[in-house]
Amino acid sequence: MTYDCVIVGAGPAGMSAAIELANAGARVLVLDRAPRAGGQIFRSAANSPLSDSGALGTDYTAGSKLIERFEASNAEHLSEADVWHVGEDGTVLYTQDGIPRTVQTREILLCPGAMERPMPIPGWTLPGVMTAGAAQVMLKSDAMVAERAIFAGSGPLLYLIVAQYLRLGVKVAALVDTTPRRNYLTSLPKVPGALRSWPMMFKGLGMMREIASSGIPVFKGASNLRVLGQDMATGLEFGCREQQRVMSNHVFLHHGVIPHSNISRSLGLSHIWNAAQHCWQVQTDAWGQSSVPHVSVAGDGAGIIGADAAQSAGRLTALNILKRLGRLTPAERDRKASEDHAVLAKMAPFRAFIDQLYGPSKCLCLPQQADTIVCRCEERRLQDLKEGFEQGARDPNALKSLTRCGMGPCQGRQCGPIVSSLLADWRQEPEAQVGYYRLRSPQRLLSLEELSRFQSRPRGGAE
Amino acid sequence: MFSSLRSTPAKTVTVTVNSQSVAAPEGQTVWATMALAGQLTTRKAALSGEDRSAFCAMGVCFECLVQIDGTPNQQACLRRVRDGMHIQTQDITETSKAPIQGIPE
Ligand SMILES: Cc1cc2nc3c(=O)[nH]c(=O)nc-3n(C[C@H](O)[C@H](O)[C@H](O)COP(=O)(O)OP(=O)(O)OC[C@H]3O[C@@H](n4cnc5c(N)ncnc54)[C@H](O)[C@@H]3O)c2cc1C
Ligand code: FES
Repeated sequence: MTYDCVIVGAGPAGMSAAIELANAGARVLVLDRAPRAGGQIFRSAANSPLSDSGALGTDYTAGSKLIERFEASNAEHLSEADVWHVGEDGTVLYTQDGIPRTVQTREILLCPGAMERPMPIPGWTLPGVMTAGAAQVMLKSDAMVAERAIFAGSGPLLYLIVAQYLRLGVKVAALVDTTPRRNYLTSLPKVPGALRSWPMMFKGLGMMREIASSGIPVFKGASNLRVLGQDMATGLEFGCREQQRVMSNHVFLHHGVIPHSNISRSLGLSHIWNAAQHCWQVQTDAWGQSSVPHVSVAGDGAGIIGADAAQSAGRLTALNILKRLGRLTPAERDRKASEDHAVLAKMAPFRAFIDQLYGPSKCLCLPQQADTIVCRCEERRLQDLKEGFEQGARDPNALKSLTRCGMGPCQGRQCGPIVSSLLADWRQEPEAQVGYYRLRSPQRLLSLEELSRFQSRPRGGAE
Repeated sequence: MFSSLRSTPAKTVTVTVNSQSVAAPEGQTVWATMALAGQLTTRKAALSGEDRSAFCAMGVCFECLVQIDGTPNQQACLRRVRDGMHIQTQDITETSKAPIQGIPE
């Protein structure tokens, strides 16, 4: 049996698309590795292990409505299904419960969401250093918190987790804010446009006030971050007027999110460099259609737009897929799409403001010390890469084969963005010119033992 | 220190983390179970053998690779505990056996 559409990712984008497709009668299968639908923002929103999930904010609790609508729809959903290969021929391979399985589909919709932008500061590989998103995930899925932690970096998600910790009564050692002071000025011209999304502006300002009035130490305009410690993190050193030190065994880093593109890369889809958001993203048209017509991408995985916009993008992409499947005429598609197109247009100025205000600073994107690790898996440092570059490895793939940077289990998810930008800096050319690693399936390490359990999918018809 | 704000202790299971017996709520991630037991080292770094620990908690950094019931390269942040599970810090370095990668043809 062949599905009309297989969707990878049950976040706001994937769920919204699935509802639209299923309501129109298409056979849809949604695969997500999480135990429950929701994605990053609504992770465990429908089954929170916290007694007081209200502390996570109204955005979070509102998620259970979308999850319920999705679960009530006719879309099939497989949870704890980890997708590790998506082929242009419509073959999707995933592992569920230790057993690799395969499904076949006409249309593929990737909604894999975002990941955090790597932040290669000295000491970022020490145990105790995690990302702010990790703090979010641990809180939502396991109600686990780290007492007296340092939060360092910039951007809404960093402030959100600090505010959530404070509301839950978890002590925070410090917020070390790296947003350059000049950004408050350079982003001013974008404020009027952003005010069209005034509820979001006020929510953000409210969160900042909450943190300021909590009395936790807040260091603004911090730079030159270095994690202290030999075998594990013991604190953070940074410049803020003078040299500062805050001690803690937990340091959470964050400076924005970037699309998670390993599947779209392995599929060989075209990608472009988004200079405003300082990241790579898959190339799509206004309907989320990629360079391969039957493969679409929606939500943060196609370019960072946020959770509300991700829902609109998911629906729009679904409408176009319905047109491609012959279930909607172009005119019907366009008519049904007008509202979501308008929503996206209205939100764009707010996103542009956030991008400007919290745009990543170069000194956090690029390692500043010769011995700072770039490739966490293969332990390659800035000096090793510079040496490779000087030996003639001028693009990411050449540098990879010469230095092994990017050859470890994470398949370049962490070092890839850094390497593109380092080479761009050294070559004095834009990232678009430099390119990115060539990737191949599978998306993660597979053991022969796992493969030996390979089965065609037994449920839902014969293969 | 990590701590848990979990409301009602769900059904618990018993697992071992590096031979230490640990009780954990059913469905909790392997990583949270390790962290709450104070066992933060998930794997050893490939060259230096230095301790590494979970970094992203969402499946993208592969720092949390552990051995589960004898099978290496399991992402502790994505896997969930089951009764009787044996979890071990992964010690695969350059000098030991390399993991196998492959795709069915
Ligand atoms: C760690 C983190 C925390 C965040 N927290 C918030 C927050 O609290 N509030 C907020 O407004 N925004 C948050 N964001 C931003 C977030 O990207 C958007 O708000 C929104 O969730 C994007 O929706 P989406 O549907 O595009 O992707 P997501 O919500 O990220 O959903 C993607 C889904 O795809 C699944 N997936 C990915 N790859 C695979 C695979 N290979 N196999 C199976 N399943 C896969 C994931 O498990 C996930 O459920 C967070 C981002 C990150 C990275
Ligand atoms: S902690 Fe990053 S993959 Fe598990």
